[in-house]
Amino acid sequence: MNIKRLLIPAIVGSMVGCEQQAPEKIEIEPEKPVYQSTYKPMPSQEFVITNATILVGNGERIDNGSVWVKDGKIHAVGQNLTDTAGVTVYDGEGQWVTPGLIDVHSHLGVYPSPSHEANEDGNEMTKPNTAEVWAEHAVWTQDPGFDLALAGGVTSMQVLPGSGNLIGGRGVTLKNIPSVTMQGMKFPGAPHGLKMACGENPKRFYGGKGQSPMTRMGNVAGYRAAWIKAKAYKEKWDKYYQAAEKGEETDKPEKDLQLETLAEVLRGNILIHNHCYRAEEMAIMIDIAKEFDYKISTFHHAVESYKIADLLAENDICSAMWADWWGFKHEAYDSVRENVAMVDKANACAVVHSDSAIGIQHLNQESAKAMSAGNKQGLNIQPQDAIRWTTANAAKSLGVADKVGTLENNKMADIVIWSHNPFSIYAKAEKVFIDGALAYDRKDASKKAVSDFDLGVTDPEGERL
Amino acid sequence: MRLLKTGLASMLLTAGLIGSHASADEYLIKNATLHTATAKGTLAQADVLVVDGKIVNVGQEISAGQKTIVIDGSGKHVTPGLINASTNIGLVEISAVSNTVDASTKLPGVSASFNISPAINFRSTLVPQNRINGLTRAIVLPRVGESIFAGQGAAIALHSSMRGLLKEKVAIFAAYGESGASKAGGSRASAMQLLDQAFSDAKYLRRNENRYLPGFQWEFSLSLADLKALYPVLDRKTPLVISAHRADDILRLIALAKKHSFKLVIAGGGEAWMVGKALADAKVPVIMDPINNLPQFESLAVRLDGAARLYQAGVKLLFTGGGSHNGHLVRQSAGNAVAYGMPAEAAIEAMTINTAEVFSLYNYGQIKPGMDADLVIWDGDPLEITSNPDAVFIQGEKQPMVSRATRLRDRYWELQDNHQQAYRQ
Repeated sequence: MNIKRLLIPAIVGSMVGCEQQAPEKIEIEPEKPVYQSTYKPMPSQEFVITNATILVGNGERIDNGSVWVKDGKIHAVGQNLTDTAGVTVYDGEGQWVTPGLIDVHSHLGVYPSPSHEANEDGNEMTKPNTAEVWAEHAVWTQDPGFDLALAGGVTSMQVLPGSGNLIGGRGVTLKNIPSVTMQGMKFPGAPHGLKMACGENPKRFYGGKGQSPMTRMGNVAGYRAAWIKAKAYKEKWDKYYQAAEKGEETDKPEKDLQLETLAEVLRGNILIHNHCYRAEEMAIMIDIAKEFDYKISTFHHAVESYKIADLLAENDICSAMWADWWGFKHEAYDSVRENVAMVDKANACAVVHSDSAIGIQHLNQESAKAMSAGNKQGLNIQPQDAIRWTTANAAKSLGVADKVGTLENNKMADIVIWSHNPFSIYAKAEKVFIDGALAYDRKDASKKAVSDFDLGVTDPEGERL
Repeated sequence: MRLLKTGLASMLLTAGLIGSHASADEYLIKNATLHTATAKGTLAQADVLVVDGKIVNVGQEISAGQKTIVIDGSGKHVTPGLINASTNIGLVEISAVSNTVDASTKLPGVSASFNISPAINFRSTLVPQNRINGLTRAIVLPRVGESIFAGQGAAIALHSSMRGLLKEKVAIFAAYGESGASKAGGSRASAMQLLDQAFSDAKYLRRNENRYLPGFQWEFSLSLADLKALYPVLDRKTPLVISAHRADDILRLIALAKKHSFKLVIAGGGEAWMVGKALADAKVPVIMDPINNLPQFESLAVRLDGAARLYQAGVKLLFTGGGSHNGHLVRQSAGNAVAYGMPAEAAIEAMTINTAEVFSLYNYGQIKPGMDADLVIWDGDPLEITSNPDAVFIQGEKQPMVSRATRLRDRYWELQDNHQQAYRQ
């Protein structure tokens, strides 16, 4: 039963000679934390990047600026930093500095390269609701895609289950640091995500087998049925905890992995990441969230966000978008190249995501296309604005905005030094720091991670790249 | 009678327009940076004169005639209209809606002879969306169906009408490597045997065709129509494009091409850079998407500077990228090749004249007199990701910068409070 009586109040009570028995609170042994992050920053030293063009991530740009990193954190940012004597200097002349890029939608590790059936671990398509599965239990840490993404300046990413199910399972946010174990990559303190999917994918797969959902009606019925159960489950546990508070002994409810995930959403501990293309489906999902009193963090692949950008702003929901993907499904037919810019223009939270092991290597180019499409229509989106789409806004989407996403003081020193303006095709990540440690240096082979897969696979005495 | 006459007259007029392929308007683009894709390379502060759909003059201080429309190109860049060397444009509207996809056939006995051209839909929304983003031409290849021979591709101009069909049967496409093996019983060795046998059979059939009599049973590896479709390949008139990534697969295909004396083009080429010299020596071009650097077991050594290395080795490169819906993103792929070491002019040639040469598209792919006036005026460096077209010309016709996507964008640019956007504002 895992219940211990707290004896102290009773003793205290008897000492003061109370006649009436004080209610005894029952202490419930907390759940054992599982699959915890064991991530430890790599060794780092204090340094300062000088003379660079700095995009802070919060909308600010600092020309000829410096970033000072101490103890793996951003110590100071500005034009005239003093007291940096004796600190290692990286001369950033002609270079640009941004926060490490964050991809809110990746399948690295669960759909790794080389891609083949035995490596496909992202979609547990055995029933339409698999809230019980966790992407992190399937991450292949030796996916060579992680190192390629690091060379593209990506320092964190959310690895999500696929979109075959209405409720696909938990996503995990990782630091893009090579580690043999998933736990060694797991972003400390980042909340889980829950992948949900609207539209064509779930209904095609299950409908095709003569099962529910066969229609978008069935999709919505499926979500609602799941939340009704989750609510009842959460109430059962709430009652159990309340009873313990009052000192009443009750049976501990049975734990259900699927409902536990959903209950964690209702408790506000897991963020909803909802694959949803079409505007009217997003509006329905917003109503479902209101019906069951939870919050949607982000609509992913939100191809039609531009049609309801006002509604998204009003409900404080991020849209994670591609710059220009379209036409692979009917629900992706109304894509416009200005989508990201139009969402941003409406003061809704715009995020550029990849959903691709190639795209994640060029997230800066995806943002650049979205920025230039908006500017061609007369907007004035500057690099310091567009960088938010893969930094601050992405961090907000993942619930880690207090830790990463900008170069503000005391945030994790996840930093990219770019050869050019990052919104140029010619820009390459020259150096990438994660928690202040140099995790990638384009010019130094010893500062390039080589996955186990890449070792000796093309040349027994060499490395793949 | 009158009605009929009028009808005939308008039909003739329409036919005349379709036949001429030319625009009556004359254009003079002044003072632009011209990326000519010729030996002259890039010309600064230069002019291009377009008359009757053709480029008639390139140089400095060209004067305008009375009816010439002058376009100020100051600060702008001009390239030939881009071509993507491998697409399904016109064969696919929505990938996941199979009724809208005509890219491959499962029909038995129809492989090398499968001519994709009649399926191309020039009214597809992919045509204007690619066009306004700078793609004026495309090679349309069939996808692999049941046979290692996918069929015959076409060259198109991105007009929204049938006159976009420039040339049928520009190449035969076949699969090798993992894909070819899967269509040939499960092994590359049997795929190689099928390719080899197809050529031997085609040669035999051609020599003995006059012995063919109705009722006589012939046992060949492919149908008679498929074997006959290979004749132009045997004559080196039509290239055979074969997909392959692995370095030793490519070497074996080079040997096969030598044995049967056909013009080989490698498509994919993930590890082509490892055998760059062999490709260059055999004059085998490579169609590739330079941004594709994900290792597969048949392309373990694929890398972002693969295109630059192939260029250094002297291999002729034809770029593709962005799939079909975004076939114009061949430009982003080319830009990445440049970021990873390929000269900019060479990258532009890989999206213009190289593809024209390999598929024998005459009068396209360069900015020089005599060429069709497929031109794009860019608002910046044409390889830069943030650059966009200001104007697009196809065969001398200035294209409206409109697509279904721009219509949607304009409809929703200013949102109505009540989400009622369906009426014209």
